[in-house]
Amino acid sequence: MSESQKTLSRRGFLKGAGAAAGALGLAGAAGMTATNNWLAPATAHAEGEERVAHLCHQFHCLTGCNLKCTIRDERVSLIEPSDLMSDDTHSHICLRGIAEVDHIYSKDRLQVPLKRVGERGEGEFVQISWDEAIKTIADNLKEAQQKYGEGAVFIRKSTEAGLDFDFLTQLIHADSGGNWGLDRGQANGLGPAFGPWSYLPNRSHWEFKDAATIIELSHNPLESAMVWSRPLMDAKEAGTYIVCIDPRFTGTAAKANEWLPVKPGTDAALIQGMLKALVDNGWYDEEFIMAHTSCPYLVDRTTGKSYRSAEVMAPSTAVVSGEEVGAPLVWDTVTNAPALYDDPAVVPALEGEWDFEGAKLVTEFTLIKEWLDGITLEWAASTSGIDQETIVALTDRYANNGPAIIDIGLGGADKYTNADVLGHATAMLVALAGQYGKKGAGYGSYCGLGANDPGSTLNWWSLPEEFYYGESPVSMYDMPYQENNIHAALTFGDAFTLEAGAANDMLNWVKSLDFFAICDLYHSSAVDYADIVLPACTKFECEENVKQLRDSLGHVMLANGMIDPLFESKSDLQIERLLAAQWGYEDYLPKTYEELARFMLDGVAELDPRMEGITYEALLANGGVMALPETGPDYRPDGTADFFLTPSGRIELYFEYLYDQGHQLPVYEDANEAFESNPKKAQFPLYFTQGKSRYRIHAYYSACEWFAEDFGPALNIAPEDAEARGIQTGDDVRVYNDRGSFVATALVNRSLQPGVLFMAETTYTRYYKEGFLQNVTNSARLERGYSMFFGPQIPYNDVLVEVEKA
Amino acid sequence: MELIKRHKALTAVLSLLTLLGVGCWVYQLMFGLSVTGMSNSVSWGLYITMFMFFVGLSAGGLIVASSASVFHIKRFKAVAMPAIILSTVCICLAGMFVLIDLGGIWNVWRMLTGPNFMSPLMWDMCVITLYLVINILYLVNMKKGNDRAVSVISRFALPCAILVHSVTAWIFGLQIAKEGWYSAIMAPIFVASAMDSGLALLLCALAALKKAKVFNTSKDLFASLAGLLATCIAVDAFFIFCEVLTMAYPGAAGAETLAIMTGGPTAPFFWFEIIGGLAVPFCVLVFAKNREKAGLVIGSSALVIAGVLCKRLWLLFTSFVVPNVQGAPGIATDAGWAMAGAYAPTLPELAIVIGVVSLGGLGFMALSGALLVPAAETETVPARAAKPAAELDFDPQTA
Amino acid sequence: MTKYGMAINKTRCIGCQTCAYACKMQNGVAKDMRWNRVLTEGCDVPDGALGQYPTLSRTYLPLACQHCENPACQKVCPTGATYKDDQGRVLIDYEKCIGCRMCMAACPYNARVFNWEEPVHEPDFVYGDARVAERAKGVAEKCTLCKERTDEGEEPMCVKCCPLGARVFGDLDDPESEVSKVIATRHGYQLLEEQGTRPQVYYYE
Repeated sequence: MSESQKTLSRRGFLKGAGAAAGALGLAGAAGMTATNNWLAPATAHAEGEERVAHLCHQFHCLTGCNLKCTIRDERVSLIEPSDLMSDDTHSHICLRGIAEVDHIYSKDRLQVPLKRVGERGEGEFVQISWDEAIKTIADNLKEAQQKYGEGAVFIRKSTEAGLDFDFLTQLIHADSGGNWGLDRGQANGLGPAFGPWSYLPNRSHWEFKDAATIIELSHNPLESAMVWSRPLMDAKEAGTYIVCIDPRFTGTAAKANEWLPVKPGTDAALIQGMLKALVDNGWYDEEFIMAHTSCPYLVDRTTGKSYRSAEVMAPSTAVVSGEEVGAPLVWDTVTNAPALYDDPAVVPALEGEWDFEGAKLVTEFTLIKEWLDGITLEWAASTSGIDQETIVALTDRYANNGPAIIDIGLGGADKYTNADVLGHATAMLVALAGQYGKKGAGYGSYCGLGANDPGSTLNWWSLPEEFYYGESPVSMYDMPYQENNIHAALTFGDAFTLEAGAANDMLNWVKSLDFFAICDLYHSSAVDYADIVLPACTKFECEENVKQLRDSLGHVMLANGMIDPLFESKSDLQIERLLAAQWGYEDYLPKTYEELARFMLDGVAELDPRMEGITYEALLANGGVMALPETGPDYRPDGTADFFLTPSGRIELYFEYLYDQGHQLPVYEDANEAFESNPKKAQFPLYFTQGKSRYRIHAYYSACEWFAEDFGPALNIAPEDAEARGIQTGDDVRVYNDRGSFVATALVNRSLQPGVLFMAETTYTRYYKEGFLQNVTNSARLERGYSMFFGPQIPYNDVLVEVEKA
Repeated sequence: MELIKRHKALTAVLSLLTLLGVGCWVYQLMFGLSVTGMSNSVSWGLYITMFMFFVGLSAGGLIVASSASVFHIKRFKAVAMPAIILSTVCICLAGMFVLIDLGGIWNVWRMLTGPNFMSPLMWDMCVITLYLVINILYLVNMKKGNDRAVSVISRFALPCAILVHSVTAWIFGLQIAKEGWYSAIMAPIFVASAMDSGLALLLCALAALKKAKVFNTSKDLFASLAGLLATCIAVDAFFIFCEVLTMAYPGAAGAETLAIMTGGPTAPFFWFEIIGGLAVPFCVLVFAKNREKAGLVIGSSALVIAGVLCKRLWLLFTSFVVPNVQGAPGIATDAGWAMAGAYAPTLPELAIVIGVVSLGGLGFMALSGALLVPAAETETVPARAAKPAAELDFDPQTA
Repeated sequence: MTKYGMAINKTRCIGCQTCAYACKMQNGVAKDMRWNRVLTEGCDVPDGALGQYPTLSRTYLPLACQHCENPACQKVCPTGATYKDDQGRVLIDYEKCIGCRMCMAACPYNARVFNWEEPVHEPDFVYGDARVAERAKGVAEKCTLCKERTDEGEEPMCVKCCPLGARVFGDLDDPESEVSKVIATRHGYQLLEEQGTRPQVYYYE
C-alpha cells in the first residue's frame, strides 16, 4: 500500500471515530471501509501495472498449495495454481485459494490496533497507536508474571500464524497451553499400536488406485481438502470399491460405492463387528500377524501386564510413557518356554495359555479372541445401525479381496469421547487383516501430511538456552475447569473459541483474566473479549518482498512478491519483534523474513545433499519455488510393515498401560453424550454434529464476502426432524441444550440421518443472529485420556440438543 | 385541446402522474433497472407485460376501424376516428414500454446500424413503426375526409394490425426455452385477445367520450359493438382452451407449466382471466338485452380488459417460475440465490407504468379534443340517420 | 474451422465450486452475478440429496453458457450484440448490447446475467484478468470460454483450476483433440438436448 492510501485509511477511520464521539463501536469500524475509498487507485502506481508473486498458501487444510498471484496496481487481482511446480499433480488450487482475492480485502479485516473500552464481550473499542498497543501488551504480560509467577502467562499461536516459530512463548517462558485436544482421538488409540505419528500413512495417496477397496472412515476429503480428492476419484475411475462410513451423506459418501450411515459416535461398534467377523471366519492374515504384530507376545493374565524380559530391553521406549521396557517374550513351541520375540530360532505360538514360574501366561491373540467371544454381530449391528450382513460383507471385502486401505478423517469420529476405542479397534482390524505396508494397502489419514512427497531439510531458528517453553500444567481447554495460574493471555488467532467446546464456560473464564490480547487478521469471535487487538497482515502482505519459507509438496517455497501490509497491519515477525523489544530480546529474533529464510537455507546442502542448489538466491531466481530431487508424479515411498515406533518395532495391540482402566483391549463404551440410550435424549433428542465445509478452514473465511454469497451459519436438519418441529428451509432456528444456545438458518437436507443435525465448523459470532455453535458443544473429558499420548480430546460432536423455530 | 381544457382536474392529475413517471424513469436511467423488481431469474416484468397489453389494445381498435372500410361495415365507420385515436395512443404507449424496459437505451440506435433480422424484437420494431405510420396516415386522411385514401390505408391497416400483434406473440411463441410460451397458437391467441380487449377499451372510451359530450355513439351501435365483443371473447376462450388442453393432455412438461398456471403463483391471474375476463362478460353480453344496457356493457368491457391484462401477466410470468435446469442454489440474483422465479414490481416501476398510462390518457384527451370536435358535427348526421341505417349493416354503395 | 467446446466429467465433479469462483475471479464478475454455477441437481438446498433415506444420491451439475451451435440467444438479439465467433464461441459485444434481455428469455440454461445496475465489486476494485473487458450498467454478460485466455492458447480458468481435472477444453472440429475423443468414447451428451440448441459443452459420466 502506498503512503497516500495509508493516509486515506487513517483519515477515514478518524472520521468514523468522530461520528461515534470517540468511543468507536464495531459497527462504526465496519462501516469505515464502506465510507472511505481506501482502494482508490494509488497515485504511486501506473494504472494497470502488473507483476507476479508466488507463495505457499495454507498448511491449515494440510494442503500447502503454491499459488501464483497476479498483482495489479498493488492489489492481488488473480490467483491461479502455481506454474513453478515440478509437474501437474503438484500444481493445484481450490476455491479457498481463489477466494483470497476477496478475503484479503474483506470488510471485516482488523485494520488498526484497538483498545477495549466497553465490557469484555461487548465489542466496544477505540483506536490506539501501535506503540501504545505493544507497550500495553508487553507490560501486562510482564506484570502478570511478576505478580503470579512465570506460569501466569498463556501464549498460543494458531497453525496459520504468519511465523512458524513460537518465539514469544519461549522468550518469557510462557505456558503454551499443553495438549490441543483437537482431532487426535483415533490417533490416541492408534499410536500405541503403530507408533505415535502413525495416524499419517507411510505410503502415498496416489496409490489409491492400486487398492481394491478403500474404506473412508469418518473422512470427507471431497469437502475438507478438495485437492486430495484427485487420487480418490482416480481410484474410483480405476474401479476401486469405495466404502464411506459416516453418519451423514457427505460429498465423499455421494461418490462412494457404498455408504454406511453409522449412528453418531458408534463407528467403533461397526469396526468391532468387523473384527468379530474377521476372527470368527478365520479371515485374518496369520503370516502377517506372526511377522509384524504383537499377537504372539505373552501377557501375564494375573497382573494384566505384558510378560517381558528382565534382561533384554526393547529397542524403543514405550509410546506413551517414553520409558524403557523389557523386550516382549513369546511362547516358543520348540522349547516350550518363553523366548525373546525376535529370536530367529524360536517358533512362537499364536494362541495358548501356559503356567510358567507361577505366572499364568497367555498370548495376546488368545486374549483378543476371548474378548471377541464376548461380542456379537447382533450387538455391533444394533449399536452402529449397520446390519450384520453388511458388516460381514464389508469384512470379507476388506480382508479377502486384495489390498485395502482404511483412510481415516482427522475430526469427525475423533470428536467423541470414545474415539480412542475406535482408533485401537481399527488398528487391530488392520493388523489382523495384514492390510499394511504393501502396495495399495494402508491405514491413516491420507492427507497432505502423509508420505505423498519427500520432505526437505531446513535449519531451525533456535533461541539461546535461557529461552524455553514454560510448564503447561493444564491444557488450555481445561483452564475453565481446572485450577490454574493463568492470569494473562496473548493469542495469535482465535484460540479460545476454536480450540475449546462449551464457549460459555471458556469465555466466562476469559472474562476473568487480568489481561487478554489477541493478534488476528479478522474480527474473529474472541476479538470482542480482548483488551488489546493487534491487526496482523495476511500471507500475501509483508513489509518486505519475501515472507515465509516453507517445505510443502516436495518443494521448498519462499513467499515473495508480497504487497505492503494493508491498513495499519503488520507481519507476525514484526509484531513479535516489537513485543520482544519491549523486554529487550529483539536481537534474538530474525530482523526480517529474508534473514530467517537465509538462515534456514544456509549450509543445508552439507546436512542433506538433496538440498544441493536450493539457496536463497536460487529460490528467488526461480520465483520462490524449487523441487526436491525425488519430487515428481511417480514418487511412491515404499512404506513397509517392518518397523514401527513401538517398543518392539512391531504393531502392538495390547495396551498394558491402560490395563488398570480396563482398556488394554478396545473395549467398547458409549460416547459421553451421543448414544441412543442416554436418558438426556428425552430432553435433547437430536445429535448435533459438526465438520468441515469447503467454504471454511475451521472459522477461517468467515469474513469472505464471496463465500458469504453461498454459505453461512446454517443448520442442516433431516426432513423428518424439520417437519416434526414445523421448520422449513430458511427459517431461523434456535439450537439449545443445557450448555447454551444459538440461532442459525435451517437447511432441510435429506443428506442427514434422521435425528442427526449437521453444521459446518464454527463461523465468527458476528455472522450469527445470536450466539454461535460452540455455545452448545461438549466439554466433557475422558478420564483415561489424560494418560494418553495426545491427551483427552474435545468431544465437539458428542453433543445432544433440541431445535425450535427462533 | 377542448377536452383538456374542460377537464382541468383530470388533466392536472394525469399530468402530475406523468411527471412522477418521468421522474422515476430518470431515476431508473441513473441507477439502472435494479430499481425495478426484475432479476436474473425473472428478467422481464411489468414493462413487457404492459407492452404486450397495449399492443393488443391498439390492434383491437384498429381492427374494428379498418374492418369498417375493408368489409364495408358502415356502422363501424362511425367510430373509426375514436378507434384510430385509441389505437395510435396505445401503440405509442406500447413502444414507450419497450424503450423503458431497455437497460441500455443509449445504445438503441444500434438497432438501425446493425439490425439482426432473425430477431423477433427487430421484426416487432419494424412492424410497430409501420403500424404507427399507418395509424398516423389514417388519422390525417380521415381528418382531411379523404375517403379514398382511408379506404386504401385501411386495406393495409387490417393485416398490419393483425401482424403487429402476431409478431408480439412471436417474441414469446418462438422461444423454445420457455415451455409456457413456445406454442403455434400464441399468435392467434394474441390476436383474439387483442380483438376483445381492444374492442372493450373502445367501448369504454366511447362511453367516456359520450359522457364528456365530445362524441356520441348511438345506443344501437354500442350494442352492436358489444355483440362483436361477445364473439371475440368466445374466440379468445376457444383458443385458450385449445392451448390449455394441449398443455395438459400429454401430462408432460406442459402439464407442469399448467400446474403453475392453475395452482401456482400465477394462478390468481389465470383464474381471474378465465372467470372474470372471459366467462362472466361472455355470459352477460351473449344476451341482446344486456347489450342494450350501457352499464352492463361497460362493466363487461372493463372485466375483459382486466382479464386480458391478467392473461399477459400469467402468460409472461408462468414461464419464469421454474428454470429448465433445476438445482440448488439456483440463479444468482441481487436478493441472493433464487431457486424459483419471484417478482413484484417496485414503487418506481409502478410509478413509471402509471405515468406512461397517464400520458396515454392525456394523449387520448388531446387527440380526441383536436380531432373529434369538428367530427362531432359530421357525426351527428349518421347518428341522426342511425335508425334507418341500422337495417343495413353492409352498405354496398361505399364499396 | 475451429469449434471450441468443453466436456465435463460428472463422475469426477465433486461440486467443490472451485470453477465457479475461478470464473468469478478471472472475469471480474460482480457481486450477485455468476457466469458459472455448480448446481446440486434436483435439490432445493445446496449439497442436498435425492431419494429415500438411506438410499440416497447426489450429483452436481456445473452450468455456464453452453456455447450452442444453434444459439437461441444469438438468434433473438436485435442488434447482433450476441454473435457466434469464428472459433465457435457465443460472445457478446457489450458496445452493441441495448439491454433488452431477449437473450435471457431465450436461453434455456439461464446462463446469462444482467447488469441491473453499475456492477458492484467486492472487494472494491475490478479483480481478474486485465484483458477481460469491463461491463457497465445495462448489458448482459456470460461465460466467454475465457476468450482472452483461449485466444492465447491457454485453457479457460475453470479448466485450469478444477482440482479434479474434470473439465476438458478443446476443438470439437478436430477429431484428434482430447475433448472430441472424450465425447466420443465416454458417451458425451448435451444438456436439454431436446431444445435443439446443440450445445458445444458436453457432459459425461
